[in-house]
Amino acid sequence: MNYLNEKTPPVREDRLGAGIAFGGLCRELCSVQREGCLNKASRSFSQSQGCQFTLSLAMTNSLRNAVIIMHGPIGCGASCIGSAGGSGTFKRLRDPKAEGLVWINTNLDEADVINGGENKLRESILRADREFRPEIIVVTVSCVPSLIGDDVDAVIAELQEETAASIFPVHCPGFKTKVMATAYDDVYHGILRSLVRRPVRREDSRVVHDDLYETQRRYRESRTVNVLNVGMMSRQDELELERLIEALGLKARFLPCYSDDDDFREALESSLNVSICGTHDDYFLEHLKELYNIPYIIDTMPVGRKNTGRWLTLIASRFGLEAEAKRLIDAESDMLDKALEPLRAELKGKKAFLTGGAIRVLATAEIAQDLGMEIVGLKGHHYDGFANVLFENLENVDDVVINIATQQPFEHINLAKRLKPDIFISHTGGNNLTAKLGIPILPIFSQSYNYMGYSGVYEIARRMRRLLFNSRFNLNIARHRRLPYRESWYEKDPFAYIKREG
Amino acid sequence: MSEIIDRPRYACALGGALFTLRALPRTAPIIHASAGCGYSLYGALSAGAGYLGGGYCGGAAWSSTNVVEREIVFGGEERLEEQIRATIELMDADLYVVVTGCMVEMIGDDAAAAAAVFRDAEAPVLAIPTPSFKGDSYAGYDMALSGLFRGFTRLGAEKRKDTVNLLGLVPGQDAFYKGNLTELKRLLEQLGLRVNTFFGEGETLDNLRNASEASLNLVLSDRYGIKAAQVFEEIHGVPYRVLPFPIGAAQTADFLRAAAEAAGVGTAAASALIYREEDRYYDYLERIADIYNDIDLQRYAIVAGDVNYAPSVSRFISDELGWIPKLTVITDQLNAEETAKVQSRFSGWESGVYPLIKFDPDTSAVQRYFPLAWPQSANERYYDSFSPAVVIGSALERDFALQYSLPLLTVSFPVTNRIVLNQSYAGYNGGLSLASDLITLLMSWR
Repeated sequence: MNYLNEKTPPVREDRLGAGIAFGGLCRELCSVQREGCLNKASRSFSQSQGCQFTLSLAMTNSLRNAVIIMHGPIGCGASCIGSAGGSGTFKRLRDPKAEGLVWINTNLDEADVINGGENKLRESILRADREFRPEIIVVTVSCVPSLIGDDVDAVIAELQEETAASIFPVHCPGFKTKVMATAYDDVYHGILRSLVRRPVRREDSRVVHDDLYETQRRYRESRTVNVLNVGMMSRQDELELERLIEALGLKARFLPCYSDDDDFREALESSLNVSICGTHDDYFLEHLKELYNIPYIIDTMPVGRKNTGRWLTLIASRFGLEAEAKRLIDAESDMLDKALEPLRAELKGKKAFLTGGAIRVLATAEIAQDLGMEIVGLKGHHYDGFANVLFENLENVDDVVINIATQQPFEHINLAKRLKPDIFISHTGGNNLTAKLGIPILPIFSQSYNYMGYSGVYEIARRMRRLLFNSRFNLNIARHRRLPYRESWYEKDPFAYIKREG
Repeated sequence: MSEIIDRPRYACALGGALFTLRALPRTAPIIHASAGCGYSLYGALSAGAGYLGGGYCGGAAWSSTNVVEREIVFGGEERLEEQIRATIELMDADLYVVVTGCMVEMIGDDAAAAAAVFRDAEAPVLAIPTPSFKGDSYAGYDMALSGLFRGFTRLGAEKRKDTVNLLGLVPGQDAFYKGNLTELKRLLEQLGLRVNTFFGEGETLDNLRNASEASLNLVLSDRYGIKAAQVFEEIHGVPYRVLPFPIGAAQTADFLRAAAEAAGVGTAAASALIYREEDRYYDYLERIADIYNDIDLQRYAIVAGDVNYAPSVSRFISDELGWIPKLTVITDQLNAEETAKVQSRFSGWESGVYPLIKFDPDTSAVQRYFPLAWPQSANERYYDSFSPAVVIGSALERDFALQYSLPLLTVSFPVTNRIVLNQSYAGYNGGLSLASDLITLLMSWR
């Protein structure tokens, strides 16, 4: 794969055959996916959802020492208003001196729609560079400048000479793709073209060559693993994964979220890239392999005991550390098992419905099964082949209902009325509705809690027990506030608005 | 011509329209736009409005066509018609309103034609164009209200002398809009008036439908709601009067006198009400007379916010708390006439203590003008420092406040570090809340 000479990556419905509209059983989904016709489906009724622009911000806004330019009308990137406070806080967990989120909106108006927005973009880039002195300037390009044909790349090329910061564009107009996860490819595309490069190390002939130093450096590089994090991961998640990787005698480095310019340069000094989510990284890792010959692993997500074990084993096997990994996994597994005993007794038999990114949902389902819970429903934002492997650590889910929908809460509300789960493990978006089912909700991700690795299993289990212990809040909401759907909706097929073709 | 903005504290017209509709009872917006518009605007405005949330059918539940490239090339009207049909079939509402994003406006989709297909539907279906390149959230409020006044409010209603409509508080952009409307309505009702606020406690769509019975529109803003009031006047023949957004006893007394005069209910009623309310107000405020003077709670202040909050908060702290506002930044995008109008609110204060006033939408503006408002240290042996002081603004003032170790109270959008339920800052009760919140900020170490 090498798309770096293109302006933008291909959209995921084309590149991966990814689909956003499906309802049926797990085994049906897998066969439809293999036939390659998932990407044709759409809906005759749909609800608001994320787009590739908004999702791009989840990555770009986490970059340290960066200014993000929202090239579009005043509303594009307004979601930063909601995330700005948290962004600063989470950056400071990686670097206490980190600045809060800074973004500039080019504020395209009617005149710009006619005359083009390139001048405002130029002004914004120069202002970002001079006023904030960042290392990185990201230009995220929304629908309007894409449609009017602003030559963003030309503006950037022209200004790169005049600015101290590295500038890269993220072409992510919302109307271009139904699969918002295309955003990850868009951002990685920019990172690959602008930030990833071999560090320049000055050769100084007066310094005596030190073999020991050189050997140590090469040894360190040979033991360093890049773990590709995602914006919604917590610092606690990173610390848990780091603990496990270091227990194998390796060193972990986290990229690309919460990184700064230097981190991307050092990124090439590693001997393995490991993804934690197949939805996230294949575009980046395939290019790094192609261009810099760094091998990679994209397999499972380290959420859940078996998934974490599998993830660690795959890493260990690249370094001939299988035996060490097995000892570590057995020891961790034993300790976890003992800790889970009392929790299992309380959670056994509870019915769970999970919603979120398909990979995360299927990985988290393993925890629910591990705790003796019953999976009654699954829902993923989109589906492509990367999620298939996650089914290997699940038991008896062939006949469980799975819904592929980017948000679209009306479908899961209908499903839940039939399936009557005891708990939702749920993505943000639509919980104002889900709460009205009167069921407790565990967020499927959070930047403030641990979900990954072995400690994550325990954390999820004890939080679910706590949520089930008193569900009064959602019960009261359900009693007093009604859902917006007509009663007739609940008698219909939950997937009645999915169109197979086009 | 609009300017680039560093960290704007408002979204676009579509966002303003959506939150206006979010605040109307049993109303389902239908968004005709690219996929991300609705949800991204929800993310901005819900969090910014003290976590207002999606409510009955908002946020990820908003009906949205999510147009993609195919519709951009071939037109999206067919898709919109399909979406309206399904929305009516699925969602239980008394009013459906199509609002539009940039893409469908640029390709020239006729949303009104698609809505007209459903003119015989059980509940009305309106279409209001709200392209974001035509304005910010505040403009979106005016677009939405204007569209509703044209297409939903009853024509030819018989006027009632005792009925007024209240405009100018933008749901969402004013995180405290509902508490504020409740308080202002409570006061006006005590003047013997019937009041429609459309978004207030206990109101239904009938308040909007029958708003044309009113004899007067009161616009409590130098910018928001004025265009809508003009449309109202044009369609329904009801005049409007612009008054400043009142916080605390002094401003609310001015407001009640002016409102009574404009509504023709006589100033005697207003005077009696003001007397009663001031007595009650000072009964509470008197409580802090001890602690204010025991530990010296006078403060310098920097205020940043929109045209409603920034002048009224500045006057409140100057005229009622006896504080010293040094810098007020008004963060709207204003034309010259609006700027002059807002500027004129900084006069006639009893204290005579005015801040430096700057009009600038950038978040970095506070930092930029601070040295003009207060001389910076030149490393003198004795330096008259900017202390003790507070910042009253939005969550975007956090980095500035942290840098100077100043306490920050968020009152103007975005208010992401607070949960807002029924609190208000308007009127007498609002003044008490603001005094209480400000002093609490100074006492939280105890």
